[in-house]
Amino acid sequence: MGDLLDNMLDLMRRLPPTKIEENVAALVDIAPDYADDLLGSVDQPLQLRTDHATGREYLICDYNRDGDSYRSPWSNEYDPPLEDGTVPSSKLRKLEIAANEAFDTYREMYYEGGVSSVFLWDLDDGGFAGVVLLKKTLVPSSPTEPSGSWDSIHVFEASERGRQAHYKLTSTVMLHMIGGKAGREGGGKGLGSVDLSGSMTRQSEQDAPLSDPSSHIGNTGRMIEDMEIKMRNALQEVYFGKTKDIVFDLRSTQNLENARNARRLQQELVGFMKK
Amino acid sequence: MTPEERIAAASKFLLQSPPGEINDVLNDIRAIISDDASLESGILPALREYNLAQFITVDVPGQSHQVIISRASQVADAEDRYVDPKAGITFSLDHLTLETSDPQPLSQESAPLRKSLETAASKYVSDHFPDGIACVFGSDASASQYTIQIVANKYNPTNFWSGRWRSEYVVDVAKGEITGKIWINAHYYEQGNVQLASEHNPVFEFPPNSSAADKIVALIAKEEGEYQASLSEVYFEMGDKTFKGLRRMLPMTRQKIDWDRVMGYKLGAELATGKSPFSGS
Repeated sequence: MGDLLDNMLDLMRRLPPTKIEENVAALVDIAPDYADDLLGSVDQPLQLRTDHATGREYLICDYNRDGDSYRSPWSNEYDPPLEDGTVPSSKLRKLEIAANEAFDTYREMYYEGGVSSVFLWDLDDGGFAGVVLLKKTLVPSSPTEPSGSWDSIHVFEASERGRQAHYKLTSTVMLHMIGGKAGREGGGKGLGSVDLSGSMTRQSEQDAPLSDPSSHIGNTGRMIEDMEIKMRNALQEVYFGKTKDIVFDLRSTQNLENARNARRLQQELVGFMKK
Repeated sequence: MTPEERIAAASKFLLQSPPGEINDVLNDIRAIISDDASLESGILPALREYNLAQFITVDVPGQSHQVIISRASQVADAEDRYVDPKAGITFSLDHLTLETSDPQPLSQESAPLRKSLETAASKYVSDHFPDGIACVFGSDASASQYTIQIVANKYNPTNFWSGRWRSEYVVDVAKGEITGKIWINAHYYEQGNVQLASEHNPVFEFPPNSSAADKIVALIAKEEGEYQASLSEVYFEMGDKTFKGLRRMLPMTRQKIDWDRVMGYKLGAELATGKSPFSGS
């Protein structure tokens, strides 16, 4: 059974990131038995919902889903309402409320907009796990402005070892940018459209001191902050470095014939001097 | 899902294959559909569509050069036969194996302008594309129309990237108009999946009925050079505006967050009064 999931994941690594939702949906239709495995392994762009109780926006993903309903981190309520929806234990919910407040501050400081949501759940072995979600969408103010979106999904597991806690973090950032649509000189001489999209996943593990339960927020916060800084650099390198290098590898702005001639001349000179 | 629906879904996947990765995609599809018999016959239309749209190049039978497979090289009213105007032949193509066979001479001789456009375009491609090929096709519909196609591929699976440049220019000599299309695709997939897809549709003019192939190709070369330069500008703008606008490198304070302050002492104290939230009690 594992092999087929590998093929599905390989396929998702190759097909265009802009079509991830419809492609995952098609795979689920083809192999319904793999739906849970697939939805649990492939990160999809985050969707926004509004909490009816507080009017605040929150993010939905597989981790705050129960059946067809999603739990809000603000009111702890499911939408559509569920009688017996899974919720964290009251103690973990307390930590979840505090984590949501802390990451909301983090979001404002780094994203200056957007929406964040944190969901925690109890694990059978006594520890807990959580997901920190962040999403920012840039809506262009004019047609010449580029637009884009950033989605962060940080899934972690925490286990206590005395006054230490051990954390395992898997982070995915999905970044989509659209640019160059506008015509500059008129007369059909625009730049056409340029679409840069994709995702990147990284993992890390770390021990950190645990003085009281709230230490978990600072510990995961620092870990996620470091990870996002690292990933932002990696994204910058891949999006603006690697993909551009590929374009300039395909077509050379310099005349290759001139370069070939220069090389030939150089070889002749070397040969001449060796004589 | 009916078998037909599964093949239709598989065909959609196949058509989205990044440059040089169609065999990997096909391999995944085979495992997922797990019905080789219906896949083999059902996937053929998608394979044909992919090969035509992506300007796949094939060896011309009995020749030492390659030709682009596209709508412009398709022989009308003949099942999977394509023309190689350079050698003056048509041949048969198997879209699954990309094997070519059965070369037949063309009944008509190629127009002189097509030939000179081909020479000029080939020179331009060898000057600017390390791995490129240019083909020029005449048109069945109009004697004054030629289609110049260029394709360049770079596949580097060991370093997890691939790229394809395609361009097409329909040259209407009577109207003095060139209708172009440039598509660039790049895929980078080390620990992720990042893709560039760009499209540009330039239209430009030249003196009608002039048969200076060099000048026509020089206009195309200028257009492509300008487009590549403008791509650099788009990249700069995306990095400067969009990327920075989505997420800052550091907060306004230019320092990382002080998490103890973010949580606030009150909050920490409140949580500390309770037992560990996951002590299981």
